[in-house]
Amino acid sequence: MTEELRVSVDRRDGAAIMYTKGYINNVGGEEIANRAYELMDGGVRTLLLNLRETKIVNSIGISILIEIIEKMIDKGGKIAFCCLTPVIHKTFQIMGLANYAAIFTDEDAAVKELAI
Amino acid sequence: MHPIANFLHELQQLERSPVASQGSLILNAFTRHTRFDAGALYLRDARGSEMRLAAKSQCVAPEILDGAAEDVLQPTPNVVVALQSHREAVGVLALAMRGNGGVDDDDISMVRAAAGFVSTLITNQRLLQETREGEFQLNYRLWELESLYDIGLSIASTLNIEDLAEEIMFRMISLTNARRGALYLREDSGAFTLYRSFGDVSGHFLGRELNDESLRDGKPLTFEQGMLVAVPIKGSNDAIIGVLAAAERETREGGIGAFEENELRLLSLFANQVAIALENARLHREALAKQAMERELELAATIQRDILPKSIPTVEGIEIAALSRPARQVGGDYHAFFIRDGVLTALVADVAGKSMPAALLVSALHAVVQLLFAEGREIGEIATELNRHIHRWSAENKFATMIMISIDQEAETLQFVNAGHNPAYLIAGGKIDTLKSHGLPIGILPQTRYLAQTRPFPAGSTAVLYSDGITEAEDVAGEEFENARLEALLEQHLDCSSSTIRDQIADAVDNFVGEAPQKDDQTLVVVRRAPVPSS
Repeated sequence: MTEELRVSVDRRDGAAIMYTKGYINNVGGEEIANRAYELMDGGVRTLLLNLRETKIVNSIGISILIEIIEKMIDKGGKIAFCCLTPVIHKTFQIMGLANYAAIFTDEDAAVKELAI
Repeated sequence: MHPIANFLHELQQLERSPVASQGSLILNAFTRHTRFDAGALYLRDARGSEMRLAAKSQCVAPEILDGAAEDVLQPTPNVVVALQSHREAVGVLALAMRGNGGVDDDDISMVRAAAGFVSTLITNQRLLQETREGEFQLNYRLWELESLYDIGLSIASTLNIEDLAEEIMFRMISLTNARRGALYLREDSGAFTLYRSFGDVSGHFLGRELNDESLRDGKPLTFEQGMLVAVPIKGSNDAIIGVLAAAERETREGGIGAFEENELRLLSLFANQVAIALENARLHREALAKQAMERELELAATIQRDILPKSIPTVEGIEIAALSRPARQVGGDYHAFFIRDGVLTALVADVAGKSMPAALLVSALHAVVQLLFAEGREIGEIATELNRHIHRWSAENKFATMIMISIDQEAETLQFVNAGHNPAYLIAGGKIDTLKSHGLPIGILPQTRYLAQTRPFPAGSTAVLYSDGITEAEDVAGEEFENARLEALLEQHLDCSSSTIRDQIADAVDNFVGEAPQKDDQTLVVVRRAPVPSS
């Protein structure tokens, strides 16, 4: 098992899909946040986070994700998640992320709904 | 927009700015929209009581106002305003005007009004932040409880030990905010082995601590100033079946810290759930192994059933009776009959071992014997070739005891080869003789040669071949049936038919054994030359 988070981004017109691989903890969350803020500064207002290869997230990672969501909402944009494990999906629902960010089962459904 | 409106609008950006940049945002607004051009802003920490320097502009300002700061603000401020809301001091703003003109009442009023506005903004924002954090903490506690509940459901239904270990690791790391973790399982030898890990556990992790006597108390243990925690997993009978370890708990401030009491309690609860799950998985694994063994036995039994004679051959002038009772669905006993040129050959063999390995050797023995007989070889040669073949192609510790008898009615003789098998009985002329072993069991040494021995076998003679499952059958007290009982029985039935002798022996063994389980295969072959009809 690896603990380091890797992030890759598929940049599209005014939108982006961010792929994460690994543990979303403090370090991993900051990595996502840095990339997300770069994208926001670059004009991205629709950000889809594909967590297909992330199996684990802790409370600090969640709080950072909440901050990212709030920032994006402040900028008039939206953030969505897709491909969550059942455990992470439930975690997001309990921790309130699902109230501010849409959650999709797969990337195709998210891309279609968000018109990315 | 009116200059004051601009000023307030700029201050209002506070609501959307990160805490770290709030100080400079406020001070910049004051120095830009008032005639004051230097100053410093101190804000009280949201969680603490200390007043900290949040921003300074064109001045020298000591870091902490509350503490014993010896430096003083330079230039000397013209106005110092407390940022206060609902009697709570949230900060202090000191402003200086370095240019000409002096400070007038309008300047003071402007600063006071804006300071009141800022105080309200900061207080509101902090209340909002506290509400959010409270909500987050509430959700987090709910998540912990839900996780524990889910873990109970999830890991209790995950019966594959590999999947289970991964689930345990993910859940533990997530629940404790740890960066590294490990699951150790105890082996039968009592030693703990690292079964799953997360992050780098190569150094500074559990080693000799795993043998710590205090683990036996079942309570969490902390090491390295609380940065590493180990929780024993207690199975049934309070036996420690494993250890969960977590290290480097992340803090909200961005670093790592010691595990707190709440997390240790959580980890203990988690370990209880893990114990149940591991026990379930172990029972499931054992059940699967048992099923696999039963399937193997069933398959082996099928092989053996196909090998053993399905019917007793008919040879004029000879009565044949046989009995085969495997002990465990399948066993290592084998018997066969061959007829060539009116000569009957009967064979009884006992392969070392049980289950599938024994069944496979029986299968090999059966195939080779069939081929050798088909080639027309005599029994001594057959035994010699069989021995060579079995020795060459079978595993090192595989061998079989075997006895073969050939009855030539014309010559009125019985030829036999006994390769390490129990002595068969020969009943002729009202006397009992034995056909003792005169060679090593089949498969022991490659160069062993077997020579057939010949005995007279007149009409009315009987040969009794058996496996050690008959003579070594045990009663409930562990006493064996033994050859003496068998011989005594034969003495009483010297002139009986083959089937009568077989049935008498089988009944006697059954009566002797009683309720005791059958431990070994039992094979019995009785061959009798029909007596000459009395005139």
